[in-house]
Amino acid sequence: MTEAAVRLPDEEPETGSPPGAFAELRTLIVGPEQRQLRALQARLNDPGRQAQDVSDVLPEAVLLRRRDPHLTRALAPTIEEAITASVRKNPQPLADALFPVIGPAIRRAMAASLSSMLESLNRTVEYSLSWRAIKWRITALLTGRPFAEVVLLNTLVYRVEQVLLIDRRTGLLLQHVASDPRAIQDPDMVSGMLTAIRDFSRDSFRVAEEDALDTLRVGELSIWIEQGPYAILAAVIRGTPPRELRVAFQEAIERLHAFHGDALQSFDGDTAPFDSVRPTLEDCLQSQYHQAPARSFRRLWAIAALVLVAIGAWLYVTLDRRARWNGYVDALRREPGLVVLSDRRDGGRYAVRGLRDPLARDPASLLAAHGLVPDRVTGSWQLYQALDPPLVLARARQLLRPPAGVSLQYAAGVLSATGNAPAEWIVDSSRVAPALPGVTRFDASAAIAERSSALADAIQSTPILFERGSTKLIAESERSLARALETLRTLDALARVGQRRVPLEIRGHADADGPVESNIPLSLRRAEFVRGVLAVPDLPAVDLRVTAAGSSDPAATGATEQDKQRNRRVSLRVGPAVAADASGR
Amino acid sequence: MMQKKICMLGAFAVGKTSLVARYVRSVFSDRYLTTVGVKVDKKIVTLEDGGETTLMLWDLYGHDDFQTVRTSYLRGAAGYLLVADGTRQQTLEVARALQQTAHDVVGNVPFVLVLNKADLESEWQVDERALVRIAEQGWPIMRTSAKTGAGVEDAFSRLARDMAIA
Repeated sequence: MTEAAVRLPDEEPETGSPPGAFAELRTLIVGPEQRQLRALQARLNDPGRQAQDVSDVLPEAVLLRRRDPHLTRALAPTIEEAITASVRKNPQPLADALFPVIGPAIRRAMAASLSSMLESLNRTVEYSLSWRAIKWRITALLTGRPFAEVVLLNTLVYRVEQVLLIDRRTGLLLQHVASDPRAIQDPDMVSGMLTAIRDFSRDSFRVAEEDALDTLRVGELSIWIEQGPYAILAAVIRGTPPRELRVAFQEAIERLHAFHGDALQSFDGDTAPFDSVRPTLEDCLQSQYHQAPARSFRRLWAIAALVLVAIGAWLYVTLDRRARWNGYVDALRREPGLVVLSDRRDGGRYAVRGLRDPLARDPASLLAAHGLVPDRVTGSWQLYQALDPPLVLARARQLLRPPAGVSLQYAAGVLSATGNAPAEWIVDSSRVAPALPGVTRFDASAAIAERSSALADAIQSTPILFERGSTKLIAESERSLARALETLRTLDALARVGQRRVPLEIRGHADADGPVESNIPLSLRRAEFVRGVLAVPDLPAVDLRVTAAGSSDPAATGATEQDKQRNRRVSLRVGPAVAADASGR
Repeated sequence: MMQKKICMLGAFAVGKTSLVARYVRSVFSDRYLTTVGVKVDKKIVTLEDGGETTLMLWDLYGHDDFQTVRTSYLRGAAGYLLVADGTRQQTLEVARALQQTAHDVVGNVPFVLVLNKADLESEWQVDERALVRIAEQGWPIMRTSAKTGAGVEDAFSRLARDMAIA
């Protein structure tokens, strides 16, 4: 290839010089450089090629300047605008990208928050029923502190409230975590002053670098400081921490140096690289509380059991008293002659009010059967007359005083008397009994019948004997006839009580000595004689009837004078009583 | 966020604490200065590029005949303010000495020489020629008044900017 062959077509030959010679000479001397310059110029004028070139070196360039804050500040606005525009356009990609990060972060935050809340709740519940809790509530009221805080302070063994990671050289705060973010003073300045105090103490006592201040104590707070080659870890602890906790801090600072040694060593004021150390620091936020003694639960259970037993006993006693009282009142209601109008209980005392028949059972006599003490029961009873059959009967017995052998019965308003009763009693009772409350009728028919039968026998056995052929009574028969008259009066009275009429046959007799024709008239006259004696006005219920038997019905069949005397007689025969009519006839 | 430690250095009673008080709202008591010998404050500044930096201000007890600056407090400082009292010439000399001390501890980090009490112009004693010579050494010099607040913000901003580009 000749020199002319390599000359570029757009080169112009210089004026005043042999064109071919100059061009050739130039081509020979700087030809390659000229071609490189033209290629470079073409490359620089090509935007597409420039972009390609920049893209080739951009990653390496950014990597080289990753610690340069200027690059961060220069990129920040553009990146912020890009993110904003992207979110406005479609937030889903960014949400998808952040999901793996934000999800665990939210869960962790929620778990920590819930754990703290449950711990606080547990402590509050655990201590809410004890005597100490009452004392703490009073303290909370007096001091104005929340109860939960008072519980915490009284049950706290220790709690790491803050942990600061501080650059050892500058005293600048690298990262900070706290159990209660609300209670933090400016940690930046705390970090600085803490470093200054460490420097001050080290200078003052001229101790070696590694022997710097590692513990501060202020009131209830302790500050434990663990130092590494490039950073120190300061923990603010409330209470009395165990020695083992310092080991945990030492392990934490060692772990931080192991994993973040480069960042710590090259720290130039940018704290962003230390966001990732928060979990390690949060692990240092440990705490311990006094456990509530188990026996307090036993005591609580025992108290609860006692209370339950007391409540059960009280319920049992109350229900038992109520049952006994109700039983007593029911018994009063069932008792004849007692009417319960009201009853009430007032504490341990009882009262009942009502009506009482004087013949009814004494209400107080029922108390013992229901386990009630008379002193605790007040009864207010007004007297009245009950119509209960037993009481009507009792009242009849009390008033009529039936003699022995006589019994009274009462049913459906009818008072009945049976047995062998004196006629006077029957007569008196029949007059009084209908006046008794509840007695509509006095039925003495049985007693009357029994008594009348006896009276009739007495009348019929009365010997009424006459002298021979005469209507003159022998002496003894005058007295017998007088007794028969008295008996007949009694029978008459009973008949009137029973509203009956008593037929009485007066039958005359004669002995067989005289002619039969004359004995009939004689026996008739004898009967008439006796009727004359018995026909008195005070025997209205006795119907007299005279008959004559002559000598046909002898009392004795012998022929002696004694037998004949027995046949000179008048016999009395009481017939079956019949009902009287309305007029008593 | 970036953090930087800066120290306030100067002779006794040149106005270091007053300058800090003008610049930030202190949390800790000034009693720390006479007990521990330092008080730490914080100020967040926004740089020209929009970035924010937290300045941790270590206000060191003033250097005098009875007490010297604890050099351990200087360790790790990213910059410092040398404060002199414009009405007392000798405080400028103390500032020069302290600059050497600081340089020995933290090396060649940004600093600003602050001539405080600029409001007391009639009592000004600092030799201007000495200032020129100091300026010729490359020291940034700024005049401030903690009393009026003049130049205080600028002095801190200047130091922050220098630290940012260092």
